[in-house]
Amino acid sequence: LSAVSEADSMIKVAEWQQTYYASDSGIHSGATTVRDDESSTDYSGRKKWHYHISKESSYIITSIFPESQLDLDTQFSLTRAQRVRAAMFPETLVEGEAAMPVQPDPTQQSNVQRLAEPSHLLKTAIVHLINYQDDELATRAVPELTKLLADDDPVVVNKAAMIVNQLTRKEASRRVLVQSPAVVGAVVRAMTVAADMETTRCTASVLHSLSHQKEGLLAIFKSGGIPALVRMLSSPVESVLFYAITTLHNLLLHQEGAKMAVRLADGLQRMVPLLKKSNPKFLAITTDCLQLLSYGNQESKLIILANGGPESLVFIMRNYNYEKLLWTTSRVLKVLSVCPSNKPAIVEAGGMQALGQHLTGSSQRLIQNCLWTLRNLSDAATKQEGLDGLLQILVTQLGSDDVNMLTCATGILSNLTCNNSRNKTLVTQFGGVEALIHAVLRAGEKEDVAEPAVCALRHLTSRHQDAELAQNAVRLHYGIPAIIKLLGQPHYWPIVKATVGLIRNLALCPANQAPLRETGAIPRLVNLLLKAHQDTQRHASSAQQTYQDGVRMEEIVEGCTGALHIMARAPINRGEIAGMQTIPLFVQLLYSYVENVKRVAAGVLCELALDKQSAELIDAEGASAPLMELLHSNNEGIATYAAAVLFRISEDKSSDYRKRVSVELTHSLFKHDPAAWEMAHSAVPLEHTYLADELDASYPPYGYAELPLDTLPLDPELHEAYIPDMTYDPTLRPVFSREQFPLL
Amino acid sequence: MNREEAPGKSPEDMYIQQKVRVLLMLKKMGSNLTPSEEAFLRNYAGVVHSQMSQLPQHNIDQGAEDVVTAFSRSETEDRRQ
Repeated sequence: LSAVSEADSMIKVAEWQQTYYASDSGIHSGATTVRDDESSTDYSGRKKWHYHISKESSYIITSIFPESQLDLDTQFSLTRAQRVRAAMFPETLVEGEAAMPVQPDPTQQSNVQRLAEPSHLLKTAIVHLINYQDDELATRAVPELTKLLADDDPVVVNKAAMIVNQLTRKEASRRVLVQSPAVVGAVVRAMTVAADMETTRCTASVLHSLSHQKEGLLAIFKSGGIPALVRMLSSPVESVLFYAITTLHNLLLHQEGAKMAVRLADGLQRMVPLLKKSNPKFLAITTDCLQLLSYGNQESKLIILANGGPESLVFIMRNYNYEKLLWTTSRVLKVLSVCPSNKPAIVEAGGMQALGQHLTGSSQRLIQNCLWTLRNLSDAATKQEGLDGLLQILVTQLGSDDVNMLTCATGILSNLTCNNSRNKTLVTQFGGVEALIHAVLRAGEKEDVAEPAVCALRHLTSRHQDAELAQNAVRLHYGIPAIIKLLGQPHYWPIVKATVGLIRNLALCPANQAPLRETGAIPRLVNLLLKAHQDTQRHASSAQQTYQDGVRMEEIVEGCTGALHIMARAPINRGEIAGMQTIPLFVQLLYSYVENVKRVAAGVLCELALDKQSAELIDAEGASAPLMELLHSNNEGIATYAAAVLFRISEDKSSDYRKRVSVELTHSLFKHDPAAWEMAHSAVPLEHTYLADELDASYPPYGYAELPLDTLPLDPELHEAYIPDMTYDPTLRPVFSREQFPLL
Repeated sequence: MNREEAPGKSPEDMYIQQKVRVLLMLKKMGSNLTPSEEAFLRNYAGVVHSQMSQLPQHNIDQGAEDVVTAFSRSETEDRRQ
């Protein structure tokens, strides 16, 4: 008691009055409208309270301003609690606690008397509650306030709400409040039904204050606070919006069950439109709410999409500078970017360009989030325009040592260069080849970096105007040894697949053929081919496609053979390839059920057949039969290669054999009809003139057998003398026929 | 000798036409020809000339198509900062 001096008390009240008056204007008017009607029993209790406050005003004055002539000892003989209780609830005084009489000195008036307003007395009681932190009183006040909050009179409700709001400002009284679910529930209900904005604002403020404690969160949650707060998100009053979103944010962060409750209350549908507001801090909280609600929840992501979320989020990325907001928004976009429905919407809204704006700032967390999001989106963005700036930044980021940055940069570049000739040319011009080679060298064992880097190089080395430039650049920047090394053990098949595709493209450049050979590409490719082919044979009977690291061995067979096909364009390479006893295997591959494998096998045989010795070997392996079949392929490449091989192996053959070839060609799709070529390319199936079975039988009859030799064309080859023992024998079957290996 | 194309041409004409076409296609696809094949084309320059216009105009790059990688397979969460 002695700690509180008179002067301090006066100052305290004066200060409090000032702040109170400054922030509020309601209680004045509220106080004067307290009803006098005593007939209703409902009101009587409360009225009594107010009435007693008025009546007992003198006691309060006495206790605070002992400048009256009261005996100080008498004054301080009552505890604080008793004094305030006496003031507020005189009927509860126990015997011995006499209410202190006042002998007002007409010559002297207390400060408060001078004010002469019942409302001030009420406020003064609150001062006690606040400053003296009496738990017991708070416990008594709280049930009273709970009732008042449910009063039919909106003015009463308003006043009670303001009182509760004041109570939340101090820790001790706030603690009392949170432990009363009833009062929290009453606040929630008051907020929901309030007709005047002031009450709404006040009650929302109460919930906001309470949401900083675990007990408060629980109380709000249990009292149905969430649906009420979600409704407040439609309020036209900015402060109500702020309180509501912040409270919901705290609930989402710390209260179990809150996310589900917000979703059930259609919280997302109310939040997404709020993204059009312009206060950056408000937006930061709102976007963080969206992230909390949609992470791992597909339905939430779809609701955000349905309400125009992507457009609004991209708008924020494009137009704001507040780092925290950009970060929270990028997190929402990251969450949405794994959703197959949101992805194209974000891309269409300009998401790639907007995210790309933030890759060169100082916020590492923002940069990284944007990169992960861009990587997720990239496979849906291969046709986007206006990505020049982004591509350039990504090429620069390939120089980073940060593995996350490298993973993202290589991945995004790999996808953006996919089937996009403009992007390929741009990246090549930005020095992408050299940067990617360095990334491969630095990646080491990190497949998440190496694989996309190699894929990107593969994209850059074909199908655009600077493909040749890129093919040369790989060699000039010492990329070939590093690339060949990727074929070594242990095999990570996605990297092997990407690398053999890259080697195939590199071999298109004649200047690369020798370096590739010299670094041992051919034996590595042949061994990989053998290994993969054996694997496909092992599983042929089970008719199951097997995957290793997500790659089918048929893809490795196709890739290696394709690379060897292009390498075989160089004469020295041809010799080395044939010298590794690969011809029988290539002939076998002509029977593959995979069209692309047939194509590359026919292609490599076509190149090898340029050498007479190899041509003879090919023939000896019985390639003619499958090749005749392939003349009828819908694929013009296959048909061309097959025909070429047959021409080359038939050079020394009988004219009958050559005639057979020509007939097959004539009756194949190689008709004098450009449309047939076009149709073949577009894979429209056409009828085959000859069925496969017929090839195994004797010659089908054709009408040119009686043509004398001298009426044959003036082709010098065909004028060579007929050699009887080189007649084609249709009964000689190939070693491996389709019947034996139906699944090849 | 240059041969003109005409409907109902002889088998040997058909053969020449087909072979010319095959060789031209090979060249278009970037493959090599033997010396005698090159000589064949020179011999039948007229046929070559008429066939050239009938070759498919599109690019016949035989390499495998570019394929995108779907990186967005799973969500990852960063530490809340």
